[in-house]
Amino acid sequence: MKKHALVVMLVAVLFTGLIATITAPTVASSNGMVAAVNNYAAEAGAKILEMGGNAIDAAIAVSLALGVVEPYASGFGGEGYAVITMADGSKYAIDFRSTAPMMATYEAIAEKGLKLSSISYTPMGVCVPGVLAGIKEAWLLGATLPLSVLAAPAIELARNGFIVDETFSQTTSDTYERLLESAFDFLNEGFVWETGSVFKNPELADTIERIVEEGIDTFYTGSLADEIDAFMVENGGFLRKSDLESYRAIVREPLHGTYRGYDLYVPHPPVSGPQFIMVLNVLENYNLSAMSWDDPLAIHLIQQALILGDVDRKAYISDPEFHDLPYEAFMSKEYAKTRLMLINPGKVFDKPYASYLGDAYPFADGSTYEEVLLEQLAPVMSSARAVEESPSTTHFSIVDKEGNAVSWTQTISSFFGTGTYFKGFFFNNEMANFASSYREGDVINLTGGMRPRTTICPTVVMKDGEVRWVLGTPGAGRIVSMMVNLVVNLVDFNMPIDQAIRSPKFVGYSSYTDLRMEEGFPQSTLDFLEKILGHKLNIYAYPDLFFGGPNIIAVEENGMMIGAGSLRRGGSASAPEF
Amino acid sequence: MKKLLLTLFVVFCFVFVSFAVETLLEEPVIVTSAGQSPGALQFTVVAKMVNLDYKFDKLYKVEDVDMSQFKTFVIVVGASGKGLGAAGIDLEVEINRVLALANKAKENGLKIVICNLEGASRRGESSDRIVTTLAPFASVYFVKSDANEDGFFTTLSEKAGVPMATFEMTVGLKDVLAQYFGK
Repeated sequence: MKKHALVVMLVAVLFTGLIATITAPTVASSNGMVAAVNNYAAEAGAKILEMGGNAIDAAIAVSLALGVVEPYASGFGGEGYAVITMADGSKYAIDFRSTAPMMATYEAIAEKGLKLSSISYTPMGVCVPGVLAGIKEAWLLGATLPLSVLAAPAIELARNGFIVDETFSQTTSDTYERLLESAFDFLNEGFVWETGSVFKNPELADTIERIVEEGIDTFYTGSLADEIDAFMVENGGFLRKSDLESYRAIVREPLHGTYRGYDLYVPHPPVSGPQFIMVLNVLENYNLSAMSWDDPLAIHLIQQALILGDVDRKAYISDPEFHDLPYEAFMSKEYAKTRLMLINPGKVFDKPYASYLGDAYPFADGSTYEEVLLEQLAPVMSSARAVEESPSTTHFSIVDKEGNAVSWTQTISSFFGTGTYFKGFFFNNEMANFASSYREGDVINLTGGMRPRTTICPTVVMKDGEVRWVLGTPGAGRIVSMMVNLVVNLVDFNMPIDQAIRSPKFVGYSSYTDLRMEEGFPQSTLDFLEKILGHKLNIYAYPDLFFGGPNIIAVEENGMMIGAGSLRRGGSASAPEF
Repeated sequence: MKKLLLTLFVVFCFVFVSFAVETLLEEPVIVTSAGQSPGALQFTVVAKMVNLDYKFDKLYKVEDVDMSQFKTFVIVVGASGKGLGAAGIDLEVEINRVLALANKAKENGLKIVICNLEGASRRGESSDRIVTTLAPFASVYFVKSDANEDGFFTTLSEKAGVPMATFEMTVGLKDVLAQYFGK
């Protein structure tokens, strides 16, 4: 009874507005910090910190709130990955990536006269959602407040509504045709949600309240799972209650890499932690700090390293429960030296990118690059493919006043996922991240129960055992490019976090034969890249969400935390005002 | 003096009635996009609300359309890079496609409506270029108010001597359609 009264009191305080937070694109505070792609979500986390919750409590509140205010980017129908470092030194990586339903096979898709690539925007494209399982694991690891308190901001936003921002309006507009067919109830009486209008989602508020009352397990083993099963049967999806029942979020220790004396804690496969570290390992061999952010040589070296990392990703990143790949060797400094040798500082790659695939296997036993190269082993199977991916997904970063840190990325894959709308949320279309058809030896062939590969990369960077930066970004295939851009800006070019985010970005990605850059680089830089180094340039307007929507929290030596929201997506940082 | 006032009143009434009759639009209606933004599809949602007899394809080609079957041609303008990309065409191809349709509509005596349904979000270099290119064909403009804050559409309609109807919210187009089509 006492506990119940406390919960009621906490919720009442939350709603009466006695809790004060400060929210802006860049915020400084020593009381804890939340940075997200959306100001409402950031504020929801800051309120929890102000109430005395820790970073994990705040992360759960932000995750739930993002599902409300950005229903196109994440939510109960989605999945993700979180890296958590606690002040007591413990570190966790929560893999709540989706899995393929057991009924989803190439044969089953072919029997319907379809291909995997043509089911992305149908209920057949849905993989088993993991967000709620991830929230549950996070809560078990170290939350201090009950779910009812943590869900209150999300319920309030869904029930009472919020003002639609430009990103919300634009994504709805871009996906309007699909939504009109599959999610009419989501639309504004059949129309696009316009910037400035008020969006309410009472159905989602009911769903969140139900999950709070019945417990998270209702989604996986309870009555909500039954309803999902029935919905999928009726609409031709592969997902069944048995898939939900067998789904587990996985808790591991995060992978560890270093860059110029900083410790980076990153996700395991099937997401891009190892690829991110591999690229930084290559770049560590260059004296980038002797250059500047707009030096064409620096851009060239980074872009070429990114391409090599992405070529390797296709061979070395998959679900470790299904494929025993040498991803730790892929992350080794010795392997990086063999990749470094391929980069010509004065010229772009002149062969198809797939031909630059490296062989990380020999490095699994700790061999040096000299030993390995002298043995000249054969390369592994490549599965290169070119896919244009949407800049969807969402990320947030949190540090509390005790120094606990959470870096959390969640997604429904494309904006609006499959477009399949159920009880106020959208189901993911992660199925598209498997190989489009069966290919012998490919590490991402569609397999029931397997997690598909993606490029998300939530990261915590530490220096001498203390959190220095918490960062991450949405942006599909551009995520690792953005992450490397950010870390190089922070470490090599010594930029403050807001400048690191603001500076124009570029992409190195094996699916792009051109060098894609935001406006803002000097003309002399562009001329040099094009005329001297041989890059084919593709310049985007500034800022462009295509490159991602990163947010960062920096923790200074004096304990001051500086948060910067996602410039490219109208995000904010928010801090409690104790 | 009395006689003069009476004459002026009669002339005014005649002009007003003529103008109103002239601008009244008729069904059936053919609808296409100019710029491949979602506005054209939103137009069809409103059209259904007023039971407008229409045919829609965002990519109609002049050779595929028998304009003589229609009385009114609605061009919903709004350039979308994503929409054009999805259709696999560039702005030049899009403008030429719609120009060909507009010419054919004019030859067949159709009234031509230029409609901005998405407001200020479909103003910009590309969208404005589409509008000014099609302006000589306009019989009437339907414009969401926030697209006309700088008087862009007012100037075009006044210059051409054609009417313009504005609406605040997207759904407000319903009243405009009801009025112009006598629904």
